[in-house]
Amino acid sequence: MTLFLTALFAGLAVGSVYGLIALSYTVVFNSTAIFNVAQGDLMMAGVLVSYFCLDRWHLPQIVTLFVILAVVVAISLLEERVAVRPFVSKPVVGLGWFIATLAFSLVLETVASIIYGQNPVVPIPGALGSGTITVDGVHVATKFILAFVTMIVILVALEIFYKRSWLGTAMRGVAEDREVAALRGIDALRISRLAFVIAGVVTALAAFVVAPIVSADVSVGLTYGLKGFIALAAGGFGSLRGCVIGGLILGVAEQMFDLYVSSNYEILAGLIVVLIVLAVRPTGLFGRTAVREV
Amino acid sequence: MNDLVSRLGFDSRAWIRWAFPAVLIIGLYLVPQLSGSGTFRLGEYEEILAFLIIAVALNIAMGYGGQYILGITAVFAVGAYGAILVAKYHPQNVGLVAMCVVGGVVGAVGGLIIGLPALRVGGFYLALVSLFAALAIPTVAQQWGLVGADTGIPLYAVEGWEAKLGGETLYVIVVSLVLLATLFSWALVNSRVGHRFVALHTSPQLASSIGIRAYRTQLLAILIASAMAGIAGGIYVYTQEFFAPGSSSVQFAVLLLAGMTIGGMGTITGPLLGSAIILGINQFFTGFQQYNGIVFGVLLLVFAVFLPNGLMARLTVLSERLGIRPRPPSLTSGPALPAADGAPPPTPGTVVAATPASQLPDWPPVLGADNSSPLVVEGARRAFGGVTAVDDMYLTITRGQVHGLIGSNGSGKTTLLNLISRFYSLDAGRIMIGDTRLDNQPPHAVARAGIARTFQSPKLMLRETALENVIPAVELRVRCTGAESVLRLPRGVRVNRQARTEALEILEALGLQHVIHQQAAALPHGTRRLVEMARAIALRPSFILLDEPAAGLSPVELDLVAEVCQNLARSGVGVLLIEHNVPMVLSIADTVTCLHQGKRLFQGTPAELRADTSVASVFLGIDEPLEASS
Repeated sequence: MTLFLTALFAGLAVGSVYGLIALSYTVVFNSTAIFNVAQGDLMMAGVLVSYFCLDRWHLPQIVTLFVILAVVVAISLLEERVAVRPFVSKPVVGLGWFIATLAFSLVLETVASIIYGQNPVVPIPGALGSGTITVDGVHVATKFILAFVTMIVILVALEIFYKRSWLGTAMRGVAEDREVAALRGIDALRISRLAFVIAGVVTALAAFVVAPIVSADVSVGLTYGLKGFIALAAGGFGSLRGCVIGGLILGVAEQMFDLYVSSNYEILAGLIVVLIVLAVRPTGLFGRTAVREV
Repeated sequence: MNDLVSRLGFDSRAWIRWAFPAVLIIGLYLVPQLSGSGTFRLGEYEEILAFLIIAVALNIAMGYGGQYILGITAVFAVGAYGAILVAKYHPQNVGLVAMCVVGGVVGAVGGLIIGLPALRVGGFYLALVSLFAALAIPTVAQQWGLVGADTGIPLYAVEGWEAKLGGETLYVIVVSLVLLATLFSWALVNSRVGHRFVALHTSPQLASSIGIRAYRTQLLAILIASAMAGIAGGIYVYTQEFFAPGSSSVQFAVLLLAGMTIGGMGTITGPLLGSAIILGINQFFTGFQQYNGIVFGVLLLVFAVFLPNGLMARLTVLSERLGIRPRPPSLTSGPALPAADGAPPPTPGTVVAATPASQLPDWPPVLGADNSSPLVVEGARRAFGGVTAVDDMYLTITRGQVHGLIGSNGSGKTTLLNLISRFYSLDAGRIMIGDTRLDNQPPHAVARAGIARTFQSPKLMLRETALENVIPAVELRVRCTGAESVLRLPRGVRVNRQARTEALEILEALGLQHVIHQQAAALPHGTRRLVEMARAIALRPSFILLDEPAAGLSPVELDLVAEVCQNLARSGVGVLLIEHNVPMVLSIADTVTCLHQGKRLFQGTPAELRADTSVASVFLGIDEPLEASS
């Protein structure tokens, strides 16, 4: 039972990070109709910044957080400018934007591996130290709790933003119908930039909380990016809550696979989850409509 | 001499078109002689050649079929593992052929496992699910003892294994296999199967309007590409005698994508060219490997944004300018010249006058001709959110009659049409032909039941010629198997030719002979409408639904459309004509239905409409019949 609970908590923590990435995807998709493949690598960039700030330069955690925010949002905006805007300003034909964001992610990953060099994978200290909280004899690392709480806070913040604020409504409106939104005086390009800022912030926070869990490693970008997509597919496209639930399901499924099947083949858990979801309920758990024709 | 050459349709500089690839192919065969390199180098060339087959496969699925199975390297890996395992356990009995077969079968199964579920959502889901598979398979293989875990399977070390082919013989065989794969992709693309891929890639609505089964077609594209990638896996392990988790990766998938995009997806040779460049750089300029990702990434980005059609499209334009490749005839090149009988075939640039409309051929129904009942809409209702677009709709389209459908914008005309062709589902009511219900069938089944349609904004395959836009519709009627068409078996050849001939006849009847070889993208709006109409007629339907066919047409074209509608009706086809051009509708329709805010305001003959006060009061705000006001 203890083993099960330990695995469950670890799953919820890692799942929270998948959920955060899925949220970033959704924020971008909801206002640009573009699925940003580079989102995982943006998080990876944040993790590496975290490594440099904390392990190399020994900066305080709070400073590190702001550096990550600045760097990730800056890269996010750069991506919006070079890889996304050309496709937002004209009608979307084919999947050119997919290739463009994939290309951006390739560049980002290469640059990161040149900067990071051949360094071995190093653990990164967590914001709340390396302590644990004991509940009923089960030790839960504080870094896990931080990841989960961060995700919940961001989910609530985003839901309020989309429902209550004028800007949030405008962002949803642009995704719904760009022309009608334009007639109402909403600038699709500004909205697209704003979406990348918000997604950048969410990704930066994800990087900050995930860094102590995954250690500094260039390959996390691709892995987490793809798993974030699985979270999204499982939860349902376009639904914020779906992202979170999907992330948690994937995280827990992976840990249970580790525990009861084999930890060597953990990655299969993701493949199984996505294939089952698509076979049984293609729109995901919370998806109301099918994905728009792309 | 020159005159003879040009009369045969050859440009005097056309030989350059053929010389270039010929030199390339011969050069490819002679690489071992030219580079004078040892067996080791040959192995590296063979590795790239195996990868080129994956590029050809990906081009079929992605460039033509529009199916973004980016993680095709996963399929390549399982095919390779399958082939190498068989070779490991039966080293004496298997050779290149057996390994290719095993690789192909395993690859096809792998592709199905990825494709079947992902296709239910479509779009970029397939891309991401397959990329995840491309990530997962090497990761799993790293841990799996059966496939040699991290170190892989060294086939050369297996006792009893001896490759029967090697050295330059093997090299020549592998080059031939690449050429064969390329030839196959050309044959496929220029067959009924390829036509369906492109139609579906262009627009799912277009495809289903000519009876193409979307899911099956997408799956076929994935299946063919996967089998080819698996075969590439078999060739890879035969030539390299080794396979390990590191032999395929997500990065490799991205490299392939870069090569394809740069070379030009959706052309036969572009992906080969681009992939050869990218993979060559990656393999032989190892000093910069660290920075390759940046170079390739930036190139990929630049091409995706600025040159989405790739290098090959540029080369085509260039060779047209240099006169190596004949330019498509220009639309503005001279006055209309009547073609005299016995004259040489019109040279590019000549515009031929339209057939006089009165000489239109008969187009009796073929699809759905066994059932002579009218098409009946009963109590149809459809709401979008709070707006009821169509409500309590009754409509009968009789064969051999023109049924006009008029009404202001937003009155529900197009929605009704979309309900009939099943792009929307009904909230209430039914749609029948005799006893056959249509409202529970998929859109392609509606087309196959003999209901053709056009779209309010024409949906054409823009990169294809007018003729190529019509051919797929004929191909729904003139049947042969896909394999017969691809492999040019006797029946396939006959049917391919028949489809082409019939498409030509219909285009010529509509006076479009001067644009048959024009890319649809180059056609003016009115001509696109006519091409789309030709495509709908090419189905030889029992019913044809025309959505504002006259919008944006010149007066001459307008008369033609009216003639065509009447001619269709004379031939026994039921015509539903949605039009804002009320005089035209009233002059040719047998029955007119007028919609207002989703409801039927009026139904009757044109004469009754003229005498009716309700229509006039709604549209003109007067209380007199139309007749009196005009």
